[in-house]
Amino acid sequence: MLVSWKWLKEYVEIPVSHQELAERLSLAGLNHESTQVTADDVVIDLEVTSNRGDCLSHIGVAREIATLFDQPLSLPEAEPAAKGPPVETVGSIANQMPDACPRYTARIVQGVRVGSSPAWLADRLRNLGVAVINNVVDITNYVMFECGQPLHAFDLGKLRGQQIIVRPARLNEPFQAIDHRTYSLQPSMCVIADRDRAVAIAGVMGGAETEVTEQTRDVLLEAAVFAPRSVRQTARALKLHSPSSHRFERRLDPHRVDWASRRACDLIVQLAGGTLADGVLATGSLPTQRAPITLRLEAIERLLGITIDPVAIERILNSLGCEREPSSSRNVSIWRTPSWRHDLEREVDLIEEVARVHGYDTIPADVPVPVISSRMRLEDELLEKLRGVLAAAGLDEAMTPSVVTAALDDLWSPWTKRDALQTEKALLEGSHYLRRSLVPSLLASRRANRTASQLDAELYEVARIYLPGDEPAALPSEPLTLGMVVGRPLLEVKGIVESLLRALHIDVPLLVEPDRTGIAHQLRLGAAVIGYFGQVSNQMVQQLKIDRQTVYAELTLGPLFAAARSVPQYRPVSPFPAMQRDLNLVMDESIPWASLAATIRSAAGQELTELQFREIYRDPQRDGAGRKRVLFSMQLQRPDRTLTGTAADQIATAVVNACEQAHGARLLAS
Amino acid sequence: MGLADFVAAVEQLAADGVAAFAEAADATSVEQARVGFLGAKQGRLKQVQQLLGGLSATEKPAAGRALNEAKERLQAALEQALARTEQQASTSVARAAVDLTLPGISRALGHRHPITQTIQRLIEIMGRMGFEVAEGPEVEDEWHNFEALNIPADHPARDPLDNFYLANAGGILRLLRSQTSTVQVRVMEMHEPPIRIISLGRVYRPDEADATHFPMFHQIEGLLVARGVTMANLKTTLNDFAKSYLGSEVPIRFRPSFFPFTEPSVEVDLHWQDRWMEFGGAGMVDPAVLAAVGYDPEVFSGFAFGLGVERLCMRRHGITDIRDLYSGDVRFLRQF
Repeated sequence: MLVSWKWLKEYVEIPVSHQELAERLSLAGLNHESTQVTADDVVIDLEVTSNRGDCLSHIGVAREIATLFDQPLSLPEAEPAAKGPPVETVGSIANQMPDACPRYTARIVQGVRVGSSPAWLADRLRNLGVAVINNVVDITNYVMFECGQPLHAFDLGKLRGQQIIVRPARLNEPFQAIDHRTYSLQPSMCVIADRDRAVAIAGVMGGAETEVTEQTRDVLLEAAVFAPRSVRQTARALKLHSPSSHRFERRLDPHRVDWASRRACDLIVQLAGGTLADGVLATGSLPTQRAPITLRLEAIERLLGITIDPVAIERILNSLGCEREPSSSRNVSIWRTPSWRHDLEREVDLIEEVARVHGYDTIPADVPVPVISSRMRLEDELLEKLRGVLAAAGLDEAMTPSVVTAALDDLWSPWTKRDALQTEKALLEGSHYLRRSLVPSLLASRRANRTASQLDAELYEVARIYLPGDEPAALPSEPLTLGMVVGRPLLEVKGIVESLLRALHIDVPLLVEPDRTGIAHQLRLGAAVIGYFGQVSNQMVQQLKIDRQTVYAELTLGPLFAAARSVPQYRPVSPFPAMQRDLNLVMDESIPWASLAATIRSAAGQELTELQFREIYRDPQRDGAGRKRVLFSMQLQRPDRTLTGTAADQIATAVVNACEQAHGARLLAS
Repeated sequence: MGLADFVAAVEQLAADGVAAFAEAADATSVEQARVGFLGAKQGRLKQVQQLLGGLSATEKPAAGRALNEAKERLQAALEQALARTEQQASTSVARAAVDLTLPGISRALGHRHPITQTIQRLIEIMGRMGFEVAEGPEVEDEWHNFEALNIPADHPARDPLDNFYLANAGGILRLLRSQTSTVQVRVMEMHEPPIRIISLGRVYRPDEADATHFPMFHQIEGLLVARGVTMANLKTTLNDFAKSYLGSEVPIRFRPSFFPFTEPSVEVDLHWQDRWMEFGGAGMVDPAVLAAVGYDPEVFSGFAFGLGVERLCMRRHGITDIRDLYSGDVRFLRQF
């Protein structure tokens, strides 16, 4: 909202410089954006919050100034002489859409001489960046910037049937606005029409065909109240925003409508001549006065933490236009609020008024809240441990958008068979799908990095994924998820997962359920599925142009955190020496390590404190095709006494026998 | 073999060993001598030790003493030889072999995202002031995102152009939350005062992505509800927070503003590097919000504040384009 220094001074004395004024207004709620000093004026740009539609005018800002500097506010007279015929004899109005237009009024001035505005008027508008058109149009703009009430002047001669009808637009009704663009209107929109056609979009913009020009003789001046919601929806739908729609959207003072109409007619008669018809065409009624508000001194103190003198409170509220009821007492006062302040409905609203004018700088900053104990969430603690492991593993943390394209959504999600939720609007170009996995986003990031010659991008992300619920209306589940992509062999990725589990002191063994397609090997802790890992498929390689070495994994963190031992407990260390026995067994290629290890563990018994896989070696000439040699080490120890070499050898023999029996494995003679 | 023979063999062995260690000129020959005399499997000492079994029980203690004595002499000779050859190596060879001014050999470490680092710092500071982290869903219903926050049905903040509504939600409106105040509502619905939480996470608003806007960003919001909470408490808390975050005494000020869920509402500025800068929004929790979650506004009051994590992060690290944060570009990520 641009305000002119000279213009403001018509309504209020300003006892400070414009710099000081801007500063003071900022601290009272009208944020100072910028100031432009022109040849003969100072134009100040103020940001007006959406609850303060009353400040979208010079009088509104002047009232703030009057309150802040304790100055009287003086408003101009608006009592034009009506020397013309009764207005009902020269025009008529009908309102068929009272929801969108609670009040519509019109006055008529006949025999005007449309021409240029006088310099003072033209200068004021130009200073605010408003185009100067002609004296009648300029006056409507002037009065809007003066008091906030948008007005519109029609060329009465061009209104067919000499009448105004407020009605819904017809389906696809064409309309040429004064910006000379044509809009296609819809029945949800409210229009001002004459007998035959729409002549204005209610509260948004007038039409080209009925605008006031130098040829205009008779003027119909509209002053109305249009419902904020209707104006907002229409302006949005047409992408047509005007100073008028901006004000209607923020609710106007219904009691200012008639004043604005009279003020404009007065100026038209003064500056463009003509005769004002007697009376006003009006539909709808004025809203009744709102209920008074009770304000307790004690409530002010309780909320603000400071005491404010009741005399100061009364001065502030009076100056803002509130009226104190006679039944008020010192501690409990009762207030009628002004019709232009739709935002004052409750006691707390009055407290805010008192506080902001009194000054927030009077509120102290040395009243701490009592100390209470608090603690970090376990989840955050554990997440920090995981981040430490991932950093040590050389992975960089990425953050990527939660909503992805159809192509990315389609790429990989082992978590659900249900279709992804979609947003109506795209988050970014083409992105409508709430992602069901982090992996596709990270694969795309890895590819983008490679395009930028960063061949070694190894990334992880911790974020939620969105898994649709049983029914469309249910909120989705949003499991916290860890995704990663790297360019390393599959078993190294599994190794990272194992490191993560170790960092959380999870002692449930990690199980893998291999996936035949290779893209989603399942990871489990007991029965709980904690994630999937895999290598990029041909489809992914083709679709993303990503390198074939790319391997990914995704873990759902809930079950991981549930299995974590956040406070590890001490286990006694045996004081007796450990023995090591290495075994090299030849067996069929098909025997997985996991079953071999299970056999070894069960055969070795409690003395086996550690089983370490060493390597696999293949020698088809000596061992035959389809055979492999598996070398592993066993650490054997007892907690209560020294384990002898003989006992260790016995255990090793038992292991060899068990492996032979269970897997047909044979000890390789050394 | 008698005891005398055994002792003689042991002494001969010790003398040979000491001589061998003394002659060894470098680390390799010291090691050869060590294996030859002290080696655990084939060393001469081990071999002599095996002869111990052939002696009678009365002879064994003396034989054992001789053996130990020999072992100690050999050990001493070995250590001497090692010290000698090491010293030689360091004075002659090492200078040429290793250029210690070469770059060290290190493993590549990954990096935490700057937003993560900022959030961790904020959580830590607020944690010391007694605020615990609370989280809630990102896909929300209208009640938590709007109604309970005093944003009624015809409020402009609910416009489809300003929100990411979900398609096909079975006729029920769902949206990606536009603020983390939703979490505050959820916490208040579940718990009685006192409440002291920070809610944080991703929020979504349709903004054209440019250097300073992104349709997805992070918010951190504080909420304190208890008996007798005043605006002075709010100012003090934010003052202490700013001081902790920026590391020095930083004056703050309030400017009146408007948010549906607080009344009074203020913008918070802080005075830093000789000018006032916007820090975030704050206010006293609107009585309508307290009532919506079943608190009596006559008994309880509270304050709330919200800060944009990206802005704090970008200012802290001198980042000029918000889009870099979400690019996944390692040239960016590895700087933090």
